[in-house]
Amino acid sequence: MKISKEKFGQAFDALVAEYQIIAPVITDGDVNYKAVKSFSEVKQNYLNSKLPPKSFLFPQHEKLLSYKKEGKDVTVKNELKVEKTILFGIRPCDAKSMLLLDKVFKNDEYRDPYYYERRDNSIIIGIACNKIAPTCFCSSMGISPASSKGSDIFLVDLGNSYHVEIITEKGKALTAGLQELAELTAEEQALVNTIKSAETPSKVDVSTITAKLDKMFDHPYWDTLHEKCLSCNACSFSCPTCHCFDISEEVHKNEGSRVRTWDGCMAPLFTLHGSGHNPRDKKKARWRQRMLHKFNYFVHNNGDIACVGCGRCIKSCPVNMDIRQAIDGVNKAELVVD
Amino acid sequence: MNSIIDDIRKTARQLLTEGKVDVVIGYEKGSLPLKATPCFVRSPQDVDKLIWDQTCENNLAAFVAKTLGKKAIIAKGCDSRALMVLIQENQVVRDDLYIIGVSCQGVIDQRKIEAETGEIIGASITDEKISVQGMECDKEYSFTDVKDVTCQTCRYPNPVLEDVHIGGSIEVPEQATLFADVIDMENKSDNERKAYFKEQMSKCIRCYACRNVCPLCYCQECFVDCNSPKWLTGGVDSAENLLFQTGRALHLAGRCVECGACSRACPQGVDIRALSRKVNKDVKEMYNHESGLTEEVKPALNVYSTDDPEAFLVKE
Amino acid sequence: MGECQVNTETKGFQPKIVAFLCNWCSYAGADLAGVGRFQYPATIRTIRVPCSGRINPLYILKAMANGADGVLISGCHPGDCHYMSGNYVARRKFALIDSLLKHVGLEEGRVSFSWVSAAEGVRFAEVVKGVTERVTALGPNNGVFKVEDGGGTNE
Repeated sequence: MKISKEKFGQAFDALVAEYQIIAPVITDGDVNYKAVKSFSEVKQNYLNSKLPPKSFLFPQHEKLLSYKKEGKDVTVKNELKVEKTILFGIRPCDAKSMLLLDKVFKNDEYRDPYYYERRDNSIIIGIACNKIAPTCFCSSMGISPASSKGSDIFLVDLGNSYHVEIITEKGKALTAGLQELAELTAEEQALVNTIKSAETPSKVDVSTITAKLDKMFDHPYWDTLHEKCLSCNACSFSCPTCHCFDISEEVHKNEGSRVRTWDGCMAPLFTLHGSGHNPRDKKKARWRQRMLHKFNYFVHNNGDIACVGCGRCIKSCPVNMDIRQAIDGVNKAELVVD
Repeated sequence: MNSIIDDIRKTARQLLTEGKVDVVIGYEKGSLPLKATPCFVRSPQDVDKLIWDQTCENNLAAFVAKTLGKKAIIAKGCDSRALMVLIQENQVVRDDLYIIGVSCQGVIDQRKIEAETGEIIGASITDEKISVQGMECDKEYSFTDVKDVTCQTCRYPNPVLEDVHIGGSIEVPEQATLFADVIDMENKSDNERKAYFKEQMSKCIRCYACRNVCPLCYCQECFVDCNSPKWLTGGVDSAENLLFQTGRALHLAGRCVECGACSRACPQGVDIRALSRKVNKDVKEMYNHESGLTEEVKPALNVYSTDDPEAFLVKE
Repeated sequence: MGECQVNTETKGFQPKIVAFLCNWCSYAGADLAGVGRFQYPATIRTIRVPCSGRINPLYILKAMANGADGVLISGCHPGDCHYMSGNYVARRKFALIDSLLKHVGLEEGRVSFSWVSAAEGVRFAEVVKGVTERVTALGPNNGVFKVEDGGGTNE
């Protein structure tokens, strides 16, 4: 079924009253997700955002609670503020990344209220990729440029209209009022088929990487992989699946708040203990950790590779560390047999 | 260009074969078009990886202090200045370094190209022309059109410190006004500047790529990591980001060599140079000092004169 | 000496000015102002440092980030530093800090520097009066470095 962009825009603008709508917006040449008040602000024909939309589920800096001491009394206030949100224009890689974040923050053993309240109150409108960048490799990560995994509603851009697919009950509820759906022409159906069967030209082989990494902790491959890395957090902060954080207290006299901020395992002080010991003070250990976490530990713990092939880490790295080359390196590494 | 690459490789091969150095730090072709990447060559067979062209944008001096043993390093003008400051500040032993100096015409600003062509799919450089195939369109540029903004006003393309020089020298045209970009900014109103920096700082995500790519940011504990006292709360609003950038610019006062690596490294395209350029202009005007040019002239904030200007005092 | 009248009361705004005073000269000068009963506005919060050369530019930035309306840094006159050259080194730093802060849009007059000796009690009072006047005129700190929520904003 399809809907003209005009009619879609009208429905979109009507929803602004009830929902906070986050959509891709272009400022200064860069596309990023921001709150919008109208469909006219939404950027069309973009590749992907500079920063992933994870900050709307897992903000870079959020106040968890605040406290105040007055005399002998201490009052504590929960600072979670949640709004009904629509995340519009989410690419298949970013939509899949949210499923991966769910495994960390919203699973049977642990439910992080700051994450799942936002997650449960968000509706994801995904959109297929009509153009594929040379740094995209999602086809090797279990999805494709037109995968609807993780989206509640999935769109394909046909130029003047969108092809609309309802994926989940949440999506169905949102589109209940949409009347102006029409049938696709044969040409449009062909276009949809082409987009849906596209694959990223860039590919990596991750079929045996988890098992290989099981045996590679002490392998000499790690000795040189890390050399040009600068230990900044450009890759971790641009990655849609990276989720490490730090919790600290901001206190002024008798009042303060507990805040959670993004942290990244590439930084040298990430694993600094209170005792002063730092188990990963060497860059070699940190790069090994990055590869093992994404391609081995996360698979063992959560059943999936913690990478969606969006390519943001490759584009943002100042020294052009390329995770695809690292994967190839692991695949090619010869196991030392004792 | 080609003979320079051959000579670099020949020199590297010789140094490694004769055991004069343990590693040659240079550039190799990156995994993205128009991007070079740092490489560490340890055996003579691998020297053919080394390249030299206008994509060699990293400041390799950032790697010397952490690389063990005797190292050779390919140094552009700005890189050699950074090495000079590192030697002055006792971070690197001069005898451990073999500096392969190459005069630099400047590096390419990929962001400028991508703003027009979209993400770059393929590119080639021949003489002074750069042909780009992009996601949005294909285009051909002359190098001067897409030269990095720092390189456009560079006055030290020839290495100031080197053990061997590869290729020729580059003549620097006289500049009518130095620091013209800073003067432009100074001529704006207070409110315009305030708004500009607020807007730039709101883009910063505090990944610290700028700090880590800088060869002169080598503190074991940076002020951002310090917990007592806690200078930064970890929030990413533009006020905190400005505190970080201003603090860093002031810590680099009299030391920054204007290689531009910080602005190029920023994944968000923040105009990081703007602050350091202002400080460098002040240092030049007030103390007639530019960092890293000769070993005898000490860094500007390590020395003083009894008649330094004091226009900043209160009038009372 | 008579009283120092400043219009803080009429405007209703009492600025909070953090004053970094070097122990040997400026702090002693402030003490002399107190002993001699030379009145000055009660707007400064004094922090004693051993020498003006001790001043880390981050002190000034952090004071502004925490909400100070103004900052005053005062040391010995050049040539009279108790540690010989501390204030010479500081002079270069201060010049660059002052210039850069103006460049990023911080209003002129929020951050002030002075040389006040231990004998200049009267002058110290004058300096504080002048700084207070200028900072009051600028109004409360809502400027470039003030963190909106004191740490914990969710932007």
